[in-house]
Amino acid sequence: MTTHNPITRREYLSRNAMGVGGMALASLLAKDNLLATPAAKPTPAHSFDARAKSSQFPPQARAMISMFMHGGPAHMDLTDPKPELTKRSGEQYGGDVQFSFVNRASKALMGSPWKFKKHGQCGTEISELLPNIAGIVDDICLVRSMHTGFNGHEVSIRYWHAGIPAVTGRPTLGSWLTYALGSEADNLPAYMVLSDPGGHPVDGVHNWSNGWMPPLFRGTVLRPKEPRILNLTPPPHLRGELQRQNLSFLRSLNERHLAEHPGEADLEARIASYELAARMQTSATEALDISDESAATKKLYGIDQKATQEYGTRCLIARRLVERGVRFVQLFLGGQPWDSHSNIRTGLPSVCARTDKPAAALVMDLKSRGLLDSTIVHWGGEIGRLPVTENHGAAAKAGRDHNGQGFSCWLAGGGFKPGMVYGETDEFGHKAVVDKVTPNDYQATVLNQFGLDHSELNFRYNGQEKTLTDKRACRIVREILET
Amino acid sequence: MGKRFNRVLSCVIATAMTSVSAVGQAASARVAFEKDVRPILREHCLDCHGAETEVKGGLDLRLRRFMVRGGKHGPAIAPGDPEGSLLLQRVRDGEMPPSGKPVPAGQADILERWIQQGAPTARPEPENIGPGLGVSEEERAFWSFQPIRRPAIPTLSESDGARARTPVDAFALRRLRERGISFSPEAGRMTLLRRAYFDLIGLPPSPDVARAFLADRSSEAYERLIDELLKSPHYGERWGRHWLDVAGYADSEGHTERDDARRHAWRYRDYVIKALNEDKPFDRFIVEQFAGDELVPQPHRNLTPEQIELLSATGYLRMAADGTGSGANDELGRNQVVADTLKIVSTSLLGLSVGCAQCHDHRYDPISQRDYYELRAVFEPALTGAGWRTPAQRRVSLYTDADRKAAAEVEKEARVVAVEKGKKQAEYIAAALAKELEKYQPPLREQLHAAHKTPAAKRSAEQKALLKKNPAVNISGGVLYQYNQKAADDLKTYDARMVKIRTKKPKEEFLRVLSETPGKAPLTKIFHRGDPRQPKDAVGPAGLTIAAPPGKPRQFEADDKAMPTSGRRLAYARWLTGGEHPLTARVIVNRVWQQHFGRGLVATPDDFGALGEKPTHPELLDWLADDFMASGWSMKRLHKLIMTSTIYRQSSGHEASRAAEDPANLLYWRKPIVRLEAEIVRDRILAASGALKPTLFGPPVAVKADDAGQIIEAKEPDRRSVYVQTRRSQPLSMLTVFDAPVMEVNCALRPSSTVAPQSLMMMNSEFVLKQAEKMAARALREEPVYPTPKTEFDAARLAEALKPRWQYGYGGFDEATKRTGSFTHFPHWSGSSWLGGPKFPDPKLGFSSLHKTGGHPDRAADRATIRRWIAPLAGQVVISGTLHHPSPNGDGVRGRIVSSGAGFQGEWIAKTGGVTTAVKSFAVKPGEAIDFITDCRAHFTSDSFSWNVTVSMKSSEGEELGVWKSDEGFHGPVPSTPAAIGRMPERVARAWELAYSRPPSEVELKSALDFLAGQIRYLAANPTSAAGREPATFAMANLCQALINSNEFLYVE
Repeated sequence: MTTHNPITRREYLSRNAMGVGGMALASLLAKDNLLATPAAKPTPAHSFDARAKSSQFPPQARAMISMFMHGGPAHMDLTDPKPELTKRSGEQYGGDVQFSFVNRASKALMGSPWKFKKHGQCGTEISELLPNIAGIVDDICLVRSMHTGFNGHEVSIRYWHAGIPAVTGRPTLGSWLTYALGSEADNLPAYMVLSDPGGHPVDGVHNWSNGWMPPLFRGTVLRPKEPRILNLTPPPHLRGELQRQNLSFLRSLNERHLAEHPGEADLEARIASYELAARMQTSATEALDISDESAATKKLYGIDQKATQEYGTRCLIARRLVERGVRFVQLFLGGQPWDSHSNIRTGLPSVCARTDKPAAALVMDLKSRGLLDSTIVHWGGEIGRLPVTENHGAAAKAGRDHNGQGFSCWLAGGGFKPGMVYGETDEFGHKAVVDKVTPNDYQATVLNQFGLDHSELNFRYNGQEKTLTDKRACRIVREILET
Repeated sequence: MGKRFNRVLSCVIATAMTSVSAVGQAASARVAFEKDVRPILREHCLDCHGAETEVKGGLDLRLRRFMVRGGKHGPAIAPGDPEGSLLLQRVRDGEMPPSGKPVPAGQADILERWIQQGAPTARPEPENIGPGLGVSEEERAFWSFQPIRRPAIPTLSESDGARARTPVDAFALRRLRERGISFSPEAGRMTLLRRAYFDLIGLPPSPDVARAFLADRSSEAYERLIDELLKSPHYGERWGRHWLDVAGYADSEGHTERDDARRHAWRYRDYVIKALNEDKPFDRFIVEQFAGDELVPQPHRNLTPEQIELLSATGYLRMAADGTGSGANDELGRNQVVADTLKIVSTSLLGLSVGCAQCHDHRYDPISQRDYYELRAVFEPALTGAGWRTPAQRRVSLYTDADRKAAAEVEKEARVVAVEKGKKQAEYIAAALAKELEKYQPPLREQLHAAHKTPAAKRSAEQKALLKKNPAVNISGGVLYQYNQKAADDLKTYDARMVKIRTKKPKEEFLRVLSETPGKAPLTKIFHRGDPRQPKDAVGPAGLTIAAPPGKPRQFEADDKAMPTSGRRLAYARWLTGGEHPLTARVIVNRVWQQHFGRGLVATPDDFGALGEKPTHPELLDWLADDFMASGWSMKRLHKLIMTSTIYRQSSGHEASRAAEDPANLLYWRKPIVRLEAEIVRDRILAASGALKPTLFGPPVAVKADDAGQIIEAKEPDRRSVYVQTRRSQPLSMLTVFDAPVMEVNCALRPSSTVAPQSLMMMNSEFVLKQAEKMAARALREEPVYPTPKTEFDAARLAEALKPRWQYGYGGFDEATKRTGSFTHFPHWSGSSWLGGPKFPDPKLGFSSLHKTGGHPDRAADRATIRRWIAPLAGQVVISGTLHHPSPNGDGVRGRIVSSGAGFQGEWIAKTGGVTTAVKSFAVKPGEAIDFITDCRAHFTSDSFSWNVTVSMKSSEGEELGVWKSDEGFHGPVPSTPAAIGRMPERVARAWELAYSRPPSEVELKSALDFLAGQIRYLAANPTSAAGREPATFAMANLCQALINSNEFLYVE
């Protein structure tokens, strides 16, 4: 595509240089107090694209896959062993507890029914519920001191995705990454969401909202079944040769029109966008088709087993997307399967059985393909759970209530230190007490790995320069980063 | 690029918020406190060191002398000695500010230079200083806070004067002339027509209107056009949509996942459309939206149409997301509603974002936290007075007293039935109980009876226990069916009667309004750090300090005794529209300009503050604002003024010398081409397909998620987009993909993106495909209004191509002539085979049948199967194929190939195996038949066969003309060809008019006909591709879809 439209030096800068998204820089330049003389002053951009853009400084990561574990995985049963809690199981807890379900509140401590063992060279202790994740501890950085300060699901989910507790209508991490960096995939959306056959996660579409950014930066939802992308393929009667004929006729219409309006970059861009769409039909279909993966790979992800087939397929698709240049992929679970209020003895093993193997496989597979260095893998939920029993009368029905004061998540690849454990909760796993990490810290750190400064990456809305972390106090957690 | 620019740029990048004067100053330049230093301190430090009475560490940074005096840790600055200045050290060390963003190096440099230069001030500092930051002279001097003055209209040279039609042109032309350029020539009439239509009503001109306009050569034709469009009821739909963006209109409550529907919001939408159609003076429009309820006596009952309108108007203040009725009725949830409402008010009419002053003084604009809460106090009596009310509690019923009375009458009637039912039910229960009690022995029987008879509340503990122990005697209306189904069914008939009676009640409708409970104005308090749990000083209602004309009051009476309500909003609205407010009129005319030109004179319509853009044409903006107010705040007059100006009537063409001077077209040397907004794209498609109804107003059209999770209309789309339900969690996919806002709060400026999902939507979505089919049906049915250009089009040849190539029948082979003896089409299609009838074998034709790859002959010689191919063109054909007889039994089958032109081509026998049936090249003429005849030979048994043949055709010059395979081409009944094909040029011409309001050029017509002919031939030759669709209609739908997808359709010049 040729552009006849002469662009000014500043427009050039705002489109190409310095790395911040076109709009971000354009709005930065707009701070300039030069008089509104046309030769030097850019118009505030309100057109956006998904072309790849360079970062603000050299990045460690170029893609990210987040396995979001809705509901609040019980960290003291999975990733954060608490011998003291086990020892004093059944005793009354002395500390203050905030309950979400007061009617079933109890202060009886509940030791984990599951055993922990040291794994890998690093010797990190992981529960028997996660045997596969236990197998990759040398590749992951486990953070045991996550903290949102809020026990509610939505409050914390919104905090994780969009930077401010409870507030909706803001762009999510994926929006910010794709706004700043665009897509390296010519023929695929930059921000993709793999939804669950069980339906939307709690808080629904807010999980991949573009907030006040243009819709271009909203997560494209890959449906759990065909058609995985909306409108990707024409109905059968228009496929193949006929569509080729139709698009070729469309092109002839548009070219005649363009000839009458030479130099209109927007018209040219739209012609190109039809061509991209046509290419997407093939490439996206190809990206989502796992039939050419080897039997060994499919086995690795557990696609050959009923329990892991579905989540395994999605993890594998996530890898294929990242391989093809997609910037940010997030996997969700329907509802909130980790929300173990009751029957934790049966419920928790079942959601582990479904996700443990695929999650570990993703890390192993990325590593064996040399993609892990440049891809951040995230595993974690919005909150954790309380060390005390949620009382349902019978012990077999016991569960744990919400806990945003302390919980775990893990990260791998993309410059995060492998084989590391960071931070601590107290001896019962109730509150993060050492090296607390907030969702804002996490966001700042992730952006940093992409070569972006969370306080400088901004978007102008309603007359304000907005950022993901919203100028809230936070830090880049350098201790968990390599070099 | 110079080094200095580099440095400056990196500084800008590093800071994002660099103070205005930090850029572009050489290191030696003089730095002044007020102009250069205070904005930096305001941004980073004054929140804790000056804004509030209590300053951190005893350090106040508002004045130079306070800094020298210092705080707990000693002087903050030592003039002339940056090294010895604590302020600078702590900033450089990153210790200050203690949280949030550090002071960027570029700004710290300025602080250093200022101290180095002896910390000069521009003027002597005031002796006394009140609390807070106040407004500095520098801040007050900012352009947008200056009173609106009417500038003199520039005088132009004679030749320029001839081009300038209006004062707008004079201002614009002067700017262009400064750069030695001028307007572009006037756009063509068709362009002007379409531009005016899409701009004013958002719909395309009908072909008839367009033709008439093009034919009207009078000099007033254009002006007349504008007048007519301004009178159109669709004007309000188009411009109403702009205002609804700004007001944050939505048909759902948002905030929580439930996203409850707002059932009555549409009355506000209709109010806006109606107000714009009436050209309600904009000042009045604002007053009604802010305070319509204050103009209606309370209680709000027996409302007149005018009062209903006034109350509907206040829907504007009820547009913010409100989760308090759907799960978020807590302090934060309620405060969010108030904060969002203030955000809508300030961005829509003040062009300022006051939101950040909720927590602290605005860091860039002179808006204090006190200002924010004073503004809040204007709305607080209605929003939070007399306790919080959820959306449902804020509704106003449209029931009149008469309605109420009628409803009560109906209810009385229903009660009669209810009483009857109660009596009957008691009887049934008593009977059932009696029967049940028979199962018990005395005295238990009597005890149970007595317990049951005693009303629940009066039962003794003993009785309660007794009943609990014997659950079967607890007979109530709810479980009666378990004892006596017939009785239960009988009781249901009473319910049905009551329902029927109640349908006679007048339907109760509601308004979504903001109103006040008289005498319940709460005391508004400043929330410390914006936290509603930490209320501090009380404030009264007032407009922003900075917006008050010097020397004029900005406070309003807290309770206007002349009114039942507090009168605060009415007073505020009148203050805003009183003619002296520096922002209101500027913001409004700028927004109108923005919609006409794609960019405002101020490019940031919601931010006229320090971080916003400066106006490209400040004088023009002021002149327009003043003229707007002086002429009665008429929107329609403003449209006409702009649209009849030369600046608007220019062509959109690029021109190198002008572009070189002003590449971004900031000075308007051409009219920019813009993509249609989402709603117009959709409306234009519906207009082209003929589906669009011109109906105005009413409840929103429901939406739903389709199987694929895409949000579509629940019924066939036929209304304009402005009437489609805008559910925050379920925005119509067709609209959002083209950048229609999903209302988080409101939208001042829509982005315009060009992305592949739009193309996929246009290429593959059911909506577009369906509308294209409708448009094609219309084009095939309706006559064009323009004369169709002359073109060569061989309809006969195309009609020939449309005949099916393959036909299926039975008949015999004439041994004497070696020709096909007879050919009769099979009468019945089973869905996969051609046969004699629905019963197989058919009483008449027996086993004779053909399917995709073969068939079965019958026993009679004249019931052999014949698969016939008709030549579409003249040429040489070569035939290949294999006749196969799978059965081990019988004597096999015989295949013969006979051409109606060239005669017998060969015969083959297949028995329990296959035989190749190749025919060397022979000539055919168009319309000639080649028959593939299969008979059973002597013995009629086990005669199932397959015979796939391929006919390849070349011209006499050896050019490939086509390949036809019998299996691929196999088909059932083919729809008959429309007679339309004979007048295909007219059909195409009509499609063009429907899409573009103009006829096709000769070149376009020819190209379209070539496309159609090619595709029709392709479909005729590949019936499986057509999938049962009639080729001409199908190809026409594809043509229409391409027109809908085209840039001429999606953009307007």
